[in-house]
This record gives sequence, C-alpha cells and structure tokens, in this order.
Amino acid sequence: MPEVRLTVNGEEHVLDAPVGTSLAAVLRERLGLTGTKVACNEGHCGACTVQVDGVPRLSCITLAHAVDGEVTTIEGLREHPLVDAFVRCDAVQCGFCTPGQVVSAAALVAANPAPSRDEIRHAMAGNICRCGTYPKIEEAILTWRD
Amino acid sequence: MELLRPSSVEQLDGGLFLHGGTEVVPLLRDGILRAERLVDVRGVVPRGIGDGVVGAGTTLAELEVDPQVPDALREACRLAASPQLRAMGSLGGNLLQATRCWYWRLAYPCRLHGGERCHAREGEHREHAIFANDFCASAHPSDVAAALVALGARLRTSRRELAVEELYRLPDEADRRTTTLEEGELLLEVELPPVEASVYLKAMDRARWSFPQVGVAAARHADGTTRLALAGVAPIPWLLDGPDALESATPLERTEWKVPVARALVRRALAAL
Amino acid sequence: MARLIRTEKEVEGRFEEVWLVVEEDALEQWPAGPLSVVGRPATRKSGPARVRGEARYTADLRFPGMLQAALLRSPHAHARVKRIDLAPALALPGVRAALGPGEAPGLVEEAGFVGAPVAAVAADFPGQAQRALDALEVEWEILDAVLDPEEAVARGQLVGEPRRNERGDVDRALAEADVVVEATYRTQAVLHNSLETHQAICQWVGDTLEVHISTQYVWGVRAEVAAQLGLPADRVRVVCEYMGGGFGSKNGPDEYTFAAAELARRTGRPVRCALTRREENVHAGNRNATIQKLTVGARSDGTIVALAGEFTNSVGWSGWSSYTEGPMQMLYACENLRTVTYGAKVNTPPMKAFRAPGFVEGTFGLECLLDELAARLDVDPLELRRRNYAHANDGTPFSSKNLEECYRLAEKHWERRHEVRARSDAVWKHGVGMASQIWFGGGGPPSYAWARVGSDGRVAIVTAMQDIGTGTRTAMAQIAAEELGLPLDRVDVVLGDTARGPYASISAGSSTTPSMGPAVRAAAADAKRRILEIAAQRYHLEERVLELRDGLVLSRDGNLSVPVEEVVGLLEAAQILGKGARGPNPTGMSVLTFGVQVAEVAVDVETGEVRVLRVAAIHDVGRIVNPLGAASQVEGGIIQGVGHTLSEQRLLDPETGAVLTTSLDAYRMPTMADVPEIVSEFVDRPDEHLTSLGSKGLGEPPIIPVAAAIANAIRDATGADVHELPISREEMLRALEAATRRERRGAAAAV
Repeated sequence: MPEVRLTVNGEEHVLDAPVGTSLAAVLRERLGLTGTKVACNEGHCGACTVQVDGVPRLSCITLAHAVDGEVTTIEGLREHPLVDAFVRCDAVQCGFCTPGQVVSAAALVAANPAPSRDEIRHAMAGNICRCGTYPKIEEAILTWRD
Repeated sequence: MELLRPSSVEQLDGGLFLHGGTEVVPLLRDGILRAERLVDVRGVVPRGIGDGVVGAGTTLAELEVDPQVPDALREACRLAASPQLRAMGSLGGNLLQATRCWYWRLAYPCRLHGGERCHAREGEHREHAIFANDFCASAHPSDVAAALVALGARLRTSRRELAVEELYRLPDEADRRTTTLEEGELLLEVELPPVEASVYLKAMDRARWSFPQVGVAAARHADGTTRLALAGVAPIPWLLDGPDALESATPLERTEWKVPVARALVRRALAAL
Repeated sequence: MARLIRTEKEVEGRFEEVWLVVEEDALEQWPAGPLSVVGRPATRKSGPARVRGEARYTADLRFPGMLQAALLRSPHAHARVKRIDLAPALALPGVRAALGPGEAPGLVEEAGFVGAPVAAVAADFPGQAQRALDALEVEWEILDAVLDPEEAVARGQLVGEPRRNERGDVDRALAEADVVVEATYRTQAVLHNSLETHQAICQWVGDTLEVHISTQYVWGVRAEVAAQLGLPADRVRVVCEYMGGGFGSKNGPDEYTFAAAELARRTGRPVRCALTRREENVHAGNRNATIQKLTVGARSDGTIVALAGEFTNSVGWSGWSSYTEGPMQMLYACENLRTVTYGAKVNTPPMKAFRAPGFVEGTFGLECLLDELAARLDVDPLELRRRNYAHANDGTPFSSKNLEECYRLAEKHWERRHEVRARSDAVWKHGVGMASQIWFGGGGPPSYAWARVGSDGRVAIVTAMQDIGTGTRTAMAQIAAEELGLPLDRVDVVLGDTARGPYASISAGSSTTPSMGPAVRAAAADAKRRILEIAAQRYHLEERVLELRDGLVLSRDGNLSVPVEEVVGLLEAAQILGKGARGPNPTGMSVLTFGVQVAEVAVDVETGEVRVLRVAAIHDVGRIVNPLGAASQVEGGIIQGVGHTLSEQRLLDPETGAVLTTSLDAYRMPTMADVPEIVSEFVDRPDEHLTSLGSKGLGEPPIIPVAAAIANAIRDATGADVHELPISREEMLRALEAATRRERRGAAAAV
C-alpha cells in the first residue's frame, strides 16, 4: 500500500494506507488522535477541522496522501489560550463540534488577533454546532487574550 | 487506486484530476465519480493573482481578500461555501463543480446521470432552475462562474483558450455533460479584462454557507456595455440578456419564487454599478 | 419510608400510569436567590476535557478485534422481503456475520419506509461491511404506500386512536363570539442532526453484554436490550460517559444496538454499529410535520370564548402522536374548547421526540392565531395574552406559575417595537413579535444518587445518569457542594455507567435537574449528617450545634473550626456514603414551566429574506442552579428554533417517499452568522411545592415560542400572515403577496 508521510503536531509519521484514505481516518484510526471528530464525513459540518500549515481544512475530505504541509490537530492546540477561553465562556455543550471550533478559531486569531464580531462570524460559519453554543464561542474568541 | 503528482502539463496522462478535493473526494466516495488513477494537479496548475490573470489553482480564500480582484469575483468568493471549503477549493475546481440537485447527488438515474427522466421536474424542485429547465431542471451552484461570466473572463486550458461561458453547455439527449472540457483537458488560468465596476449579489437561505438560491453578477465594461450573469437559475451559469430577459423565465411550479428574487437582485445590481 | 404509589408519569408530553416507589424528601427548601454555589455561574466540570478533545465519546471508542456493522435498508416505502440471500455477502473478504429479517430486533421483514433496516452485516472494516451490503440479494414484494398524512387520516390509517378533548360548548360560544378567526397552519418535518450519530458498540464480557452507546437514558437502554434479547437486566451493562447531542432522538437503543449485540454474540467479538450522517437523517427520528386547523372565538374586549383545533401529526410508520394540542388546551383560560388529534401512519421514517415534541408545533399555530386575533380586534398582543391568563390548568392548580412576571419582564423588550418599526424603509421592514411558552419540565421520581466522601474531604456524587451536553455534571456538583458547604472544585460527579451507580432519570423532557437535583441534594445531606455525627463524637459536642460551611466543620459558638478533611480523615482509605432519593411531585397540582419571548425581525419585502435580529427570552423554571449553563440552554434552544423557523426542512421525494435532504449541504442548520442577539432572563423563584430544590427543567422551554414569535414579528413588520414553516423566501413572498391582495380588496371595498 502506498506510503503516507505526515507531520502532525510536530511529530513525523510514516504509514501505509490505501489511496483514498482520509486524513481524518488516519488521525483517528491510525494515530489515535480522536480529538478530531467526524460528524458528517462529507465536508459539510466542520467537526473534523484541522490546520494544514495554519490554514483550516476539512480532514474528512482531505486525502491523507495529498497532504502537503504540517498538520495541527486539537491535540496540538491543547495549551492554546482559546481552550481556557472556551471553558470560561461556557462555549461548549455536548462538545462534539468543539475541537473543530477551537481549531478554526485558532487559525483565525493567528491571522487576526483581534477579530470583530463580523469577522468571527465569517470565519467560523463552517463549523456547525447543533447545541447552539455560537454566542458563547463568539464571546470566547472576542476575549481569548483576557 | 493510485495517486500521481505530476509537475508539468507534459506529464499529464489521463486519470481523474484532483486539486482541493472538496468536490472530487466526496463524489468518489459516493461512487458518482470513479477512477483508478487520481492525479493531484497542484504541481501543474498555476496559483496566484497577477496583472489581469489568476491561476486556476488559486483558492477562493486567497481571492476573497485580494484587492486586485474585481468586486464581483471577490464577493462571489467571499460568499461561497464555508471558510474551510474556500481555503481548500480552487478557482478552477469551483467552475467545474456539479449541481447540488439532490436527485443527482443521491445518484438517482436522472438525465444528468444518463437516465430517462428528470426526477426534479415532477418531484421536489423548489431549489431548481427557472431557465433552460426542460431537459434537466438542475441549478448551477457556482457563484464564481456567474461572476466570471459577467466579468467577461477568458480561460486558458491545457489545450485552448475560450470565453468562460463557452466552458458550459446545456445537457441534451445526445450529450449529458454540462461542460465542454474534454477528457484530460485541464483549466490553467483565468484572464480578467479590466472592468469599470462590478458587483455580486446573492440570495441565500443562511447568512453564510449557502449555495446560491439566486446569484446575480453584473459588470460594466470599458466599452460601456453591462453584462449580467446569474447563478442558481439554470443548469449552467446563465448569461442574462438584460433585465427584461427575466420575463422569459420558465419557472417550475415551486421555482416561481426565484423570478421576483432575481428581478430584485438584478435591479439592485444594476443600481449598484 | 419507601412508599408505593400508582401515578401518572409524564415524559415529553406523554402520560402513562406507572407504579412508583417514592421516598419522602424531608429537606427544607433553600432560600430563594443565589446561595454559596447554587445560583452562581459555574463553568462546566467536563469543559476542559471536551474542549481539549480528550473526552471519549462512543464514536471514539475502539476495542481489540472490534468489527464494524452496517445495515441494509429498504429502498421502498412499503415492501416485504420475499427472499434474502446472505451467502454472497458472507463469502466476501472480512465479512464475519450477517443477519436477515427477524434475526435481531428491529430488522424487519415488512419495511414501512425507505430506509427501514432489514438486514445487517459485520466485517473487519467499514468498507468491507458496505461491500457486503451491496452483495446481499433481496427479492421484494412491493406493497401499497401512503405518504400523504391527510390521505392516511381519511383511510383511518392511524397510530393509536384519535385523541379527543372537549369542555364547554364550543359551537355555541363561537356562534355568540364577536370575532371568529380561523386559520390552517403547517409545520415541516425537521431532523435532530446530533453531531454524534446514533451508535453503539456491543461486546460480551463473560455472560454480560456491555453496551457502549450514545444515549440519553442508560437505564432505558438496559431495560429494553435485556427485554428484547431475553437477558436478565443485570447481565446488561450500559455505558455512556460523553455523548454528542440527542435532543430527544436518543432515548432508546433501536435496531443498530440490537444488531450489534446479536452480531457480537455470533462472532464473539466487539461489534460497532454507527449510523452515517445520511442514515442519521433518514432513520434517527424527526420532529414530525403537522397540519393544524385552528379556530378562536373572542369577545370584542379580547376575552377568548372558544378554541377549537383539528391536529394531524404525520407520525411516520411508527412512533407516537405527540401532544400538539397541548398549548391550546393549557396556555389560556378558555371555558369552551374542543380538540381532536390524529396520528397519521404514513410510509415515511418514524418520528421521535424532538425538544418539546408537539409543543413547538402547537405553539406556532396557537400563538400565530392569537396574533391574528389581536390584529382583528386591534388589541395589543401582550394585552390580549394577559386578558386570557390561566390561573389554573383546567381546574387543577399550578404548583407555581410566574408567567405574569415573565410578561412584566418582557415589557421593556416589547416597548422597543415602536422604535424598531420606525427603522423600516421601502425594502426592509422591521417588526417585533411575541409568543408565550408552556410546557412540562417538573421531572419526577424515581431517581437515586450516592455521595461518597473520601478522607481527603473530596466528594464524588455517584449516580448512573448521563450528561447529554446540558451541563448536568456541573449542576449536580453545585447542588452537592451547596449542601455540604464545600467549594465546587471539591465535588466530582461520576455518571454514565449502569454498573457504577444507582438508577437515575432519563435526560429528556426537561427533567434532569428537577428529577436528579433533589436526589443529589438528599444524598449530600445524608453524607453531611454522618459527617456531623462523627464530628460530634470526635469533639464531644452536640451534633445540633455543628454545621458544614466553607469546607469547615464549625460549631455555632465558634469554638470549633476544623477542616472537614480532619474529621473524615479519620477514615483513612474508607469513606462516608450518603444515599438520596427523589421525593414525590406535589399531588393535585400541575407542575409546568412558562415563559415568553420577544423577537425582532427585518424582512426584505422584495426578496423574501427574513433576518432575526434579536430575541429576548424570559422563562420561569423555578430555581436556577447555574445561571451560566442556563443562559447556554436558552441560547441553544433559540438558535435551534431559528433553524426550525427559517431554514431547516426534511424533504421527501413525493414519488418514492425517500428522504432527499440527507446531507448537511441540503439540510441547513444555522451557522454562527445566523445567530440573533439573544437576551435571556429568568424569574428564578423556587417552586415552593416542588421538591427540596424548587427547580424545573430548562432544556425544552426556550425552543417552544421561537417560531411563533418570529412569525408574529413578521406580521408586525409587513402585515403578512405566515401560516407555514419554514418561512422560506417562497413562503415569505407568498404571504406578502396574499397580504397585498387582501389590502387591495380592502381598499376596493372601502371605495
């Protein structure tokens, strides 16, 4: 089987997988990084968001063999100040979408440390939360450095 | 399945092209696309925004923030899909995306899939076409394509140059394809002629992350002419021959609502120019 | 003393007569208002684990040798499996077992909808299981299918008997009314779309079946799996530590669990059966569509004299006919009332409870009807509601009702309407609308909890309940900390495992806090009593002069002040165990929740775009345990409600009955960009008749009035009467055109 080479959270991995295997499947099933959730598995909900070279991508529709940069998952962002901000603001209900929300938010604040509400809404619109934690997530991103 | 990563046009040799993968990967998984050979064309397709030329490999996320990009295209990119999809999806891939018609996506044996009938016409079609919907009622979902048609963009492929509207064709009994791209032909660049002003307006059912219910692009060109193009109203991006052309729309029972929406957006777009 | 009673128990608006053992709840209620821990905002106990991606959901569990199951689903709306050949599937690589109709509960021979499961396979990898499904050969006998609920009602094809309710003389009251308004309202089917799909992993450990499942009710799963598989209940262990949303759809085990259990039995290996997103949107339940033909009669002063409704629930192939008529029966004082409710049995996927089933739909109809009446009478909608205030529930007193206080708190939001309307221009019309809320949410017995106090002075509340994302762990810890006089960070909650704690309530029907909270408090109080007894003996003081506060054992005279761990530290590795039970609900009283919401909208009258700009929500749910978590519940309910109102809709192919909106590009839930400004307020008065806690549930109330408040704001903005959900651009433009036609007719008549 063709080789997959990945750098995930600063660590290099080489493994074999059939072409067509998604990055999400490699992260979850092969590397045990289950913080990345799969909720729709077709690129519509954002639960599986990871960063590739700092840019948010949907790992469920990214082919593992075609990853062309360094992958950062929620496991690599656990010490990010956003994590505390999410907890402090109650920006988590069932929590299934939350890792993806944090990954998207971390990419946003890296590019724009003080985003406006409109900028937050624009940048976070690809992360669906069925519990409706959005107002709290918005607040967490507005106050992440506090 | 194998994955090739060519680095030049010369190395292309068949297979299914893949760039951002946002359309191809899910369709492969659903069995709507099939391939033994996937070709990652990111090493081949130019990426970047230059003087009147945009590489087809440029992502929508890059286009939405670049001030050189004409307003209509920038806004079409900004309002397209979701942030992650815009960060992954390329300009070329966006032009080649298939309809969101649920029958097509769920692989009903409809005319676009080579079948005998359009399930949407007699079935659930409230999001479908109001023009050219006799054979197939699907609606074309590309905001970007409508913007490029209004902007009078030209495309360079691995084989030819053409106006963007020439990329598209209405499906018919003999040929069910909606593009004129040939087997193995690859979109490389988009050339944007200078325009005096342009605008893109979009009716959505959510504030973000919505395919166009109706998208209206308008551009005023240097020769004084204005071009109007619509997304979400026909099986292909629809060049509108002036606002009055909306009166010749042929909506289905449940797409009649799109006509007044299009009328209002066309009026507003023209006023904004 | 344990008392055996026969009583009516309500869950999600369904009533059944049950035997209950209840134990007296001897504790006095705490005073109203914020206490040391209860009533103060607390961040979630499980927050860090969830946010950091460390929480392990059912979807994240992997066991050695685990197989993946997949289900074969009917492609026909109504068909019988005449013949099925499992052999070609079993011959494929990696396939370990296959089940046909009848070989596991829920795998049916007669499929009543497109998507009904008929067979199952287990293979080493998911892809192999999928290929095995493709290889199954099925011969179908196609049967007659009915998709239209009105046709089903006409044919008498019903789920249960029609439900009729009548009081007074409606016909006479209508004949004598000054104004009669009639309207038909329609609500669409909407889908739960919990982000974690329905799934279970079953494995046999010795003679015990271990079920890891994403569920709202571990004990319900245990009972039903045991019953369906013919096992003693104690041979079934059900585990759910974290789960990714349920909203009413995960109250039971269903076919995916039964198939996994049977496949695990046959293969001797753990078997996981997880629905895909597309399966989730077919067969994980739905809020069923309704048709509501409503009539109200009133005197010119606004007194409602008659209410009548004919309700049709499009239930699906199975399920229950939800209490859509409930708001009409309960929200307003009205002597003459007649309702009939039909549960149409149609060949579509079955409904399941979805966050206030029936009441979301019924409130849309009733509260829109009220505003149409207000417009006809030219009475202020808030005034109309006050004028018809119900002081009893059809003769039964309320345990507490502060709706009037909700209305008073809503005034400042309602007053904004003049200023809001003034923002309108030729295209964008602004308006304000309101709707009231009524619902259950009192919870009930039985529920039990243990409080385990270690020698380090830390407390574990142990109870086999589940936290479905509502912040249950935190609220329970707050209640225990309050009772034990400990800081919140000294209390943990151990839950989610039937083998590791006593029976606890379902997390549905806004019942978790009111059902579990008093049991947890009682357990903590029992532990406290023991700690004080020990302290009294250790320090030679009388027990009655001792108390627990701020982590200290204190004597009232101030002479003793020692950390609690000094007392319980005597036990070394042993512990103090307190036990608590939920006491009974008040007899002869209606325990209900109330509220009102005020929505502000803008409508683009040319394109039919509706924007919800602001929603103010005021709810009366007794004592608020955690104001931070409570605000999150309100926001979540309103946002889901906005989705139900504007953009969400399950669509079926009218020819085959197949769901077309199975993926999330087609089924559109709100994004962050769709969220209005939300203001939440609470009356926050303990219900003095309800348990030692005085709290009711809040999971469901916030979603109930959203659609009606929005529709009424649209009427205020545009004059258009919306009669159908969702308020798509198509529906909005239709309503605007109808309003214009009506206006023209009115103008012509005036000429």
